[in-house]
Amino acid sequence: MLFFIVTHSDAQLGVMKMVGKNTSNYSFGIGAYVKGIFSVSQSSDVTVELGANIFFLNDGGSGDGTVIIPLKAGYRYSLNGTGLGFYVEPQIGYNIYGVTSTYVDGNTENLKFHGLVFAANTGYLFLIGNTPLDLNLRYETVVDHGGSDNYVSLGLSFYLHFGKRDNE
Amino acid sequence: MIRQLFIFFLMVIFLSSCLKQSIADAMIADQDPGAKGVATLTYQINGNTVTTTVNGPDDQTSTDYQLICSKDPYMGTNLFVYGLDCLSTSGELTFTFGTSIAVGHYSYLGSYGDMFVLNYNGQAEYVHDPADSISFNITSSSNGHISGNFSGILTPMIVAGNPNNTYGTPGSVLITNGSFKNVPVFSW
Repeated sequence: MLFFIVTHSDAQLGVMKMVGKNTSNYSFGIGAYVKGIFSVSQSSDVTVELGANIFFLNDGGSGDGTVIIPLKAGYRYSLNGTGLGFYVEPQIGYNIYGVTSTYVDGNTENLKFHGLVFAANTGYLFLIGNTPLDLNLRYETVVDHGGSDNYVSLGLSFYLHFGKRDNE
Repeated sequence: MIRQLFIFFLMVIFLSSCLKQSIADAMIADQDPGAKGVATLTYQINGNTVTTTVNGPDDQTSTDYQLICSKDPYMGTNLFVYGLDCLSTSGELTFTFGTSIAVGHYSYLGSYGDMFVLNYNGQAEYVHDPADSISFNITSSSNGHISGNFSGILTPMIVAGNPNNTYGTPGSVLITNGSFKNVPVFSW
């Protein structure tokens, strides 16, 4: 049923970096997502996104880092009203699964969490040939246990079409 | 309307990202709420007692601290070393545990080479003589805090002139009854 109402979807691989206090031990991470896109108008889409983000931690332990799997809903607004070009996309959601595996007092501890997710996403939608692409920059924060994990990502996504816009 | 909503959303993100700790750090702190109380380090140097007490030790920073165990990168490697550092009214005391702060015994012997340990009223005390040593026992290491005890036999440095330092009577500085409690472990 979902495939009849999702006009298209996309998938992405991106580079991420944890930012904020006590994140200097994190090296670059990688993130991927699949996103369902429901067209509301020529300039607006409602989006649902399932992601998986992995951040590697070099703190002297082995196999350490953070994994975050957020499920988010968003509203994507194309600034020029065409469905291409620059857009902004606020997102809100829930972290389905999160774990930080960190070196504490000589031992590796796995700290599991969930929490609310907020993201501010902006990007540029464009075509190369007939292939729609989305170059985007995102700031995302996960809030749980009175703390937050914050990260930025830069990614390029490609579209998987299930339907077409009216003017296509 | 969309613009106002987006600005409001950005404010929510900004405020949430201003939370003081990462989720992992907050969870570690939650595991032992009482650990935020007081950190202490005390020892006797030739019978004179030196005591340092820090209220709210978890609130110390890299530029403003008195008693911490810091985790720092080890030159040119992916390893990190843990070091205790105490700044008291009489001077500084420092000791490097190594790559672990698990419960156990840690010592530095005179045969390893000269090493600064503490400064007491303007005089630096070193592990220098082959019979010198400084030993730490970590008796508790959990929830980002360590506790334990220590003792040592040191040699005073009379005149600093590296590499030709002038030392006093070997083994003339005795560190006894040393203990530390609830010292927070920081990674800057």
